[in-house]
Amino acid sequence: MSAFFSGVGVILSLELRQRVRSISWYILLAVFVGLILMVTVLLSIAFVGFGGDGGGGTYSTIIYFVLLLGTLVAPALSGNAINGDRDAGTLATTQVTLITTWQLILGKFLAAWVTALAFLAAAVPFLIYATIVGSLGLGTILISILVLAVELGIVAAVGVGLSGLMSRPLFSIVASYLIVAGLSIGTVIAFGLGGLAVQATVTTTSSYGQEYNANGVATSCTPPATREYPAPRFDLFWGALVANPYVILADAVPTIYDQHDQPTDLFGFIKLSVRSAQQAPETVIVYDECALGSDLYEDRPTARETIESTTPGWAVGLFIQLVLAGGLLVGAHARTMTPAARLSRGSRIA
Amino acid sequence: MLNLMTSAEATHIDPAHNDPAHGDLAHGGLGPTGIVVDHVGRSFGQVHAVRDASFIADPGTVTGLIGPNGSGKTTLMLMLASLLKPDTGSIRISGHDPVTETAVVRSRLGWMPDVLGSWSSLSVRNTLIYTAQMYRIDKVAAATRAAELIALVDLPELADSPTRVLSRGQKQRLSLARALVHDPDVLLLDEPASGLDPVARAALRNLVRRLASEGKTLLVSSHVLSELDEMADGAVYISQGVTASAEALARSRASARPWRIRSSDVVALRAALIAGGIEEAAIETDRADLIVALEGEAAASALLARLVAAGVAISTFAPAVGDLEHAFIDLSLGEVK
Repeated sequence: MSAFFSGVGVILSLELRQRVRSISWYILLAVFVGLILMVTVLLSIAFVGFGGDGGGGTYSTIIYFVLLLGTLVAPALSGNAINGDRDAGTLATTQVTLITTWQLILGKFLAAWVTALAFLAAAVPFLIYATIVGSLGLGTILISILVLAVELGIVAAVGVGLSGLMSRPLFSIVASYLIVAGLSIGTVIAFGLGGLAVQATVTTTSSYGQEYNANGVATSCTPPATREYPAPRFDLFWGALVANPYVILADAVPTIYDQHDQPTDLFGFIKLSVRSAQQAPETVIVYDECALGSDLYEDRPTARETIESTTPGWAVGLFIQLVLAGGLLVGAHARTMTPAARLSRGSRIA
Repeated sequence: MLNLMTSAEATHIDPAHNDPAHGDLAHGGLGPTGIVVDHVGRSFGQVHAVRDASFIADPGTVTGLIGPNGSGKTTLMLMLASLLKPDTGSIRISGHDPVTETAVVRSRLGWMPDVLGSWSSLSVRNTLIYTAQMYRIDKVAAATRAAELIALVDLPELADSPTRVLSRGQKQRLSLARALVHDPDVLLLDEPASGLDPVARAALRNLVRRLASEGKTLLVSSHVLSELDEMADGAVYISQGVTASAEALARSRASARPWRIRSSDVVALRAALIAGGIEEAAIETDRADLIVALEGEAAASALLARLVAAGVAISTFAPAVGDLEHAFIDLSLGEVK
């Protein structure tokens, strides 16, 4: 086992050494830090203008921005890991050594991940600044950084996987971007369209008060009026939504509630709406003021109750993403394994 | 038409002892070492890159792999290098099957590819150290080995430069060093001489011969046939994915080949050749030299003796083409017919 990991270590070290030597990598890092700095400064000024919001807004926006930039950079760092080596003529010379295909793929995946993590590390000072300004908990920042790190790892794995599955580096990098786009935007579209396409019919029977006593309780009501209308079934498609990295991030961060059990920050509100989407719409609604008495809104659950009673979406979402990333790595392994049984058309193994 | 049969026997051409008895190296009793290729075939979809290749290369010898472009040389090399799985037949490298005992084969095999890839931002030294580590050689031993190899392939002044600054020939030497990093028993060299200057070529030839004398098995593919002539003990000829049989090679060896004869007195030489029974139409003129086709070494010796006896001043009397080139052309022509 240790022989296996020392082989992975050789590939990791080799990859990192090559990346660190390239000037373009440092330029990319500098541009990345520059962009985050700009966004942080502008957000701080903007929120001061709004009367110094709880840094929740600033923090959430900055960390989303880091996630956005990170997922934009990571495919470029990983999308040509294997087929790029094949083009450069260095893949086959590695494959004839005692390095196994899994060592090669895992080493390249770790190298791409570590490189992407360097971008996250460069963003950490800004995240700490936002936490202090917004007086957020240590848990929030630690969980956000952890989720960001995992998301970068998943994008790195997708990139390395596709670079093993496809023979042209350009196509595999573009395909990695498409997968990132699919996860970031496609999941929302699938959730929205899916929910709208499958609709349930809601029947409401309403009986409104006509006469009220001194306590404001209805004593006589209108005859029940029945109405039917369609309602989207988002509860069938919440699985698509939670595969979204932005949703996973918001869902995983521990929510801070106010005295009314309402979330206090952007992540909390996103989490509440995502969790609410898990619940099927009620198809039979009976509203009878005479029967309800004065407690008209008694049984509506609070945000905290909704969040605590539903499935943790981040776990489901991460599972979906891990299956995707793992599947691509397994595919890359099958495709890169030597002695090769089959080759893709027009590809030269060396 | 020349019937290219296959044979499990080595199909060696020995320039020094040009008779069939010595041509084939004896390999009985040596056991299954070196390279043994038995009826190997490999196709890519509809393209049969290698149809039926068979040969044996013994330890301590240098075997040339020759054949026209697209004849399946590189595919065969890739199968030997454990990168490609044969569809049919079997391969043994030092007695092990590259398909089922891949790790054992790789630990004993050095491969110098025809594509010159290198980690461009790494130094020559680090390239060799990393390669050694990929063969599970520890860091200290890897550094020592890298220093040895840098001296061996004569790249000391570039040892700490990034490999992207190397010229083609220098990359070639780095590639050779990389193939030798784990001191393999079997070496596959794909076009090792291309891009090398004459001094480096001579050094390569000496190195190849020395490695063979240390008991290693070397298979060298090259287009520079004169080059191979000087370093190879024998050759495997492959055409359209099929290796030529020993018989085909023996026949080619016996077939008429051109000899170049130079004399200060061309007129007297021509007269002597005609007097010796060679038709005037069969005598080719190439600048100051005359070229005649002779069947076998014995015929050449007899002709030379006659010419000398006739008092013709001979300054050159040699085959117009090398042994391998002759075999190559002869076998290629045989196929066209």
